[in-house]
Amino acid sequence: MAGIDRKITARLQGRVGPSIFQPFYDVLKLFEKETMVVRRSQNFYVLFSLILVIFTTGLFAWGANLLLVIFALTLSSIFFVLGGFKASSPYSFIGSQRELVQIASYEPAVLLSAIGMYMITNSFNIMTIFTCDKPLYIPLAGILLAYLFILPIKLRKSPFDLSTSHHAHQELIKGITTEFSGRALAMIEIIHWYESIIALGIIFLFFSSNILTGLFAASAVYFLMSIVDNSFARVKWQKAFSSSWLVALILGVGNIIILSFLSK
Amino acid sequence: MLKKSPWVIHYDASSCNGCDIEVLACLMPRFDAERLGIINVGNPKHADIFLVTGSVNEANKEIIQNIYNQMPDPKVVVAVGICACTGGIFAECYNVSGGVDKILPVDVYVPGCAARPEAIIEGVAKGLEILETKRKKLRRMAKGLEELTITQADPSDASEILYLQHLAFQSEAEIYNDFSLSPLRQTKDEIIEDFKKRTFFKAVMNYTIVGVARSRMEGNVCYIGRIAVNPAYQNMGIGKKLLQAVEEHFNTADFFQVYTSHKSKRNIYMFERMGYTWFKKERVSENRERIYFKKKNIKD
Amino acid sequence: MSTPLFLIAFPLIISVILLFLKNNAARFAVVTTSFFVLSAASIQLASEYFKSDMQFLTVPWGFADHAIIAAEILLSLYVLFTGIRHKQKLVTLFVVVQLFPLLWFEFKGPHIEIEHPLVVDRLSVVMALIIGIIGGIISIYSLGYMRDFHEHIHKEYRDRRCFFFFMVFAFLGAMYGIVFSNNLRWLYFFWEVTTVSSFLLIGYKGTTESIKNSFLALRLNLLGGVGFAAAIIYLQTRVGTLELDKVMFSQNATILLPVALMCFAGLAKSAQLPFSKWLLGAMVAPSPVSALLHSSTMVKAGVYLILRFAGVLEGTIAGFMIGLVGGVTFFLCSCIAVSQRDAKKVLAYSTIANLGLIVLCAGLGTYEAVWAAILLIIFHAVAKCLLFLCVGVVEHKIHSRDIEDMAGLIITMPKLSIMMQIGMAGMFLAPFGMLISKWAVLQALVDFNPILAVFVIFGSSVTLLYWVKWMGRLLTVVGKQDEIEGTVRRTEWFSLGALAFLTIAVCGFFPLVAHSLVEPYIEEIYHRTVDMGHGNIVIMLIMLAMVALFPLSFLRYGKSVKVVDAYLTGANTPQGIDFYNSLNTPQQMDMKSYYMQEFFNEKKLLLTGIAVSTILILISVVSPIC
Repeated sequence: MAGIDRKITARLQGRVGPSIFQPFYDVLKLFEKETMVVRRSQNFYVLFSLILVIFTTGLFAWGANLLLVIFALTLSSIFFVLGGFKASSPYSFIGSQRELVQIASYEPAVLLSAIGMYMITNSFNIMTIFTCDKPLYIPLAGILLAYLFILPIKLRKSPFDLSTSHHAHQELIKGITTEFSGRALAMIEIIHWYESIIALGIIFLFFSSNILTGLFAASAVYFLMSIVDNSFARVKWQKAFSSSWLVALILGVGNIIILSFLSK
Repeated sequence: MLKKSPWVIHYDASSCNGCDIEVLACLMPRFDAERLGIINVGNPKHADIFLVTGSVNEANKEIIQNIYNQMPDPKVVVAVGICACTGGIFAECYNVSGGVDKILPVDVYVPGCAARPEAIIEGVAKGLEILETKRKKLRRMAKGLEELTITQADPSDASEILYLQHLAFQSEAEIYNDFSLSPLRQTKDEIIEDFKKRTFFKAVMNYTIVGVARSRMEGNVCYIGRIAVNPAYQNMGIGKKLLQAVEEHFNTADFFQVYTSHKSKRNIYMFERMGYTWFKKERVSENRERIYFKKKNIKD
Repeated sequence: MSTPLFLIAFPLIISVILLFLKNNAARFAVVTTSFFVLSAASIQLASEYFKSDMQFLTVPWGFADHAIIAAEILLSLYVLFTGIRHKQKLVTLFVVVQLFPLLWFEFKGPHIEIEHPLVVDRLSVVMALIIGIIGGIISIYSLGYMRDFHEHIHKEYRDRRCFFFFMVFAFLGAMYGIVFSNNLRWLYFFWEVTTVSSFLLIGYKGTTESIKNSFLALRLNLLGGVGFAAAIIYLQTRVGTLELDKVMFSQNATILLPVALMCFAGLAKSAQLPFSKWLLGAMVAPSPVSALLHSSTMVKAGVYLILRFAGVLEGTIAGFMIGLVGGVTFFLCSCIAVSQRDAKKVLAYSTIANLGLIVLCAGLGTYEAVWAAILLIIFHAVAKCLLFLCVGVVEHKIHSRDIEDMAGLIITMPKLSIMMQIGMAGMFLAPFGMLISKWAVLQALVDFNPILAVFVIFGSSVTLLYWVKWMGRLLTVVGKQDEIEGTVRRTEWFSLGALAFLTIAVCGFFPLVAHSLVEPYIEEIYHRTVDMGHGNIVIMLIMLAMVALFPLSFLRYGKSVKVVDAYLTGANTPQGIDFYNSLNTPQQMDMKSYYMQEFFNEKKLLLTGIAVSTILILISVVSPIC
């Protein structure tokens, strides 16, 4: 998926671009490199973050409680942030601070999605939501839009690639990933992949009344994210935070208010 | 997999920016280095290939060293443009030391003024092959099969020696929580001065100095000091080999003398295994004691 | 003597003993023994009563009622004279407004027969365990802490340790009194005792600032007390009962107004908006005081009271308003906590916010909400206490409360930072306590009113910011530092270690706790069971196990990696932590955290909060009348 994203980006920029399997090559290469650290324990936080995110994806696929999945994902992200702090370098430090702001920016919309889904399906259980035959994206349109707004934050794409970003040079050198190399960096890549899967999985749930629409929607959204990535410049973190909360408030909470009136 | 995903860090040493613009052009649609998987990362810790443009002068010597040292192995250095190769048209200026190979082991030279994007990409591709070779060497070395050469060092190795001392004595300093140890506080000039009074031996593996020892002869005793081995290459017997090399070189001495601090168990063990016995203990600071070892030279 | 009576009386006796005990060793002996006695007694209480529903007890001494009235008069007169002496007009006013009408109605009003003056049920058991165990741990901690405080750090303050320990134990006795009282007048008396203890302990240092803040606390708590007194009078004259259980289970509509008034008192004691200022000011007190009164026990008394009336508040406008006050407090105070640098202030705002969450649940009053609220009480008491005590030790060692100064604490005070991290994790990290509770809260709210869930969602997103930022600060190490942990006292280590263990144990054993204490209580009051879902519990326990494995890895990891300097664009000096700046002089790198003050301005948010909550409270008190 990440490879397709790079290919799309390249084509949009008029280039040929790398093979779509490039990210795998990148990760494999990183495993072969020497590991360098600034502080001995920093890589361990990354390892833990990876273990937790795999666990979370497992939970998600197994159909557990959506709230728990979201909280487990947050746990994984926090370990990653702590690793950035541990690395004790200015760039990773600011990267971690910004990553925290990013998490605080997207949390409301994600949790609101869970609440919205509960209101329609009367359960937080992913399996139940999945098997529900009512299309969720119609009554939850506002929440869906809010979620789409914050999705670039979760996927670390412009205009919200504040703490670290893949291709472009950016103001923080590599932000939170600056002091990680070799295996740890490879693990961070893999963590991002899993996070993308979960993030898109939630989109899938919105459309899960029909599996095909779900898959199509998830891919379409990913494609959209690529285009958005290439069309926008980065915003200041203050703007990211305030705009995402504003959107979550107006679209997300508005949606919930309307729903609760309708159901009464 | 290194060949498929080379990540580049680009540093402008003292370039006129001509070569730098050509490097950037490589990323543009016309040449598109990314289709080969090349990404320009801004951070040495993520990079495999070090692209240097421009020549080396006093201001950027240490910086280039620093960036090079912060790159994880295996790594290659590509000198882009004639200034990076030999100094170019500025080679005889008073402040220019010359090309990058004055301070770093360069793997690929890409001449030109400015070097063309096609040449740069070709240079990077050649660098990739060298990278593969290095990677294999690294693998073998990790299994202890790589050859180690021990020779006498000269003043041009001073910066590597300084960095090595810093690295190796870091762990000593951690043990005693004393960062004022003299090996850590030396400057490069002091090391160059020391070359006049001491004989330095270096252990080289894979083009990098991984161990160093210094020695001097006074009367009939050969004093050996500051045996430093890169922490990543410790426990491979390099310290022992250095000691042996020194002993061989000064085989006219009657005694060999060496010292270490009381908590450095590994050093103590190494000396004792090589036939040294301790004969004096001296308190140097509040929490540190120095132990002196001596060995009689068995001359044949 | 029944266990509850013992639990009330014992600390009071100990407090008097400690008042006259100047010798350190003797004090140590008395305090440590009391800890074991109290904990044992609380556990004994739990084992006696956890199987049964609400049980009532009588006091064997007939004069108890009169004794309490006499004590109340004496206490109020003391406060009155203090108020007059320090020219505190509001204090004097509030005392007068409470004391005289109460006395009038006591003697001249309709006589109310009290059937059961004492009650023990599972909620009391939970509270008693908290008071006994955590209160005891804090008193042991205080031995070492206060010794350092007077002998090394603050030699300028008068050594009034006898008085300190006297107050602490008197307070513990009063807390037991609150949770076991069924007679609302007695509850009110013990309530006022805690107010006065808080007042005296805040002003312990005797500085102008301390005295000012202690009177602020006194004022606001007395204001709450006025509400309480009004409620008692109303109950006596219009409703005809003064017993907690009868009020709790009453179906009478007239009960709502006195309940709302008592909740008003609860809000004041728990420092909800608009009363929050007193808790912030109370941070000038020594850390044990902050831990005991202002995070683990006294403020819990406020929410305890509101929680008692949750059944009455369910479905009413008053309840909804009170719930909103809690929600608004939670959200706004979490936001303000992000902008604070003073560690104790962060902890204070976090406490207020979490109490707001409990109030939100209690105001809502549904069975799920109350279940979540009780879990919150347990987890918060343990974790927050740990944090306050840690911050106290840190403050003594590094002489600063600023978060920015705590950088590198993982190297200079490794064991302590790990305990702090356990405490912080307990506050917000899955699968630890508070997160479980937040999860429970969300589940509870969604059924009833999703709009309230919005407060929780936005608030909890923000809590991440200040906790992780602080955690990260502890981990960031620049340069080499010495370990300074050696001088932490044994008593302090004991308390910290015990609390850290408890934080983890309580999370690990929470299904057991929930099953044996919380769920039965819910069943008793609401006749409904709460089911968390077996699968969910398993998942949480797995997560807990994984997180617990984290520290083990430090043992062998990182031995074979290469350590280099941080990337400073190549300009590192040989020392590694400095770099050559543009003037070619070495400069050390410096990193400061985000405080987002343009978003979370303390003054603005507080003002908004005070305005909104005042309106909400007014509605809550007025609506029962209409």
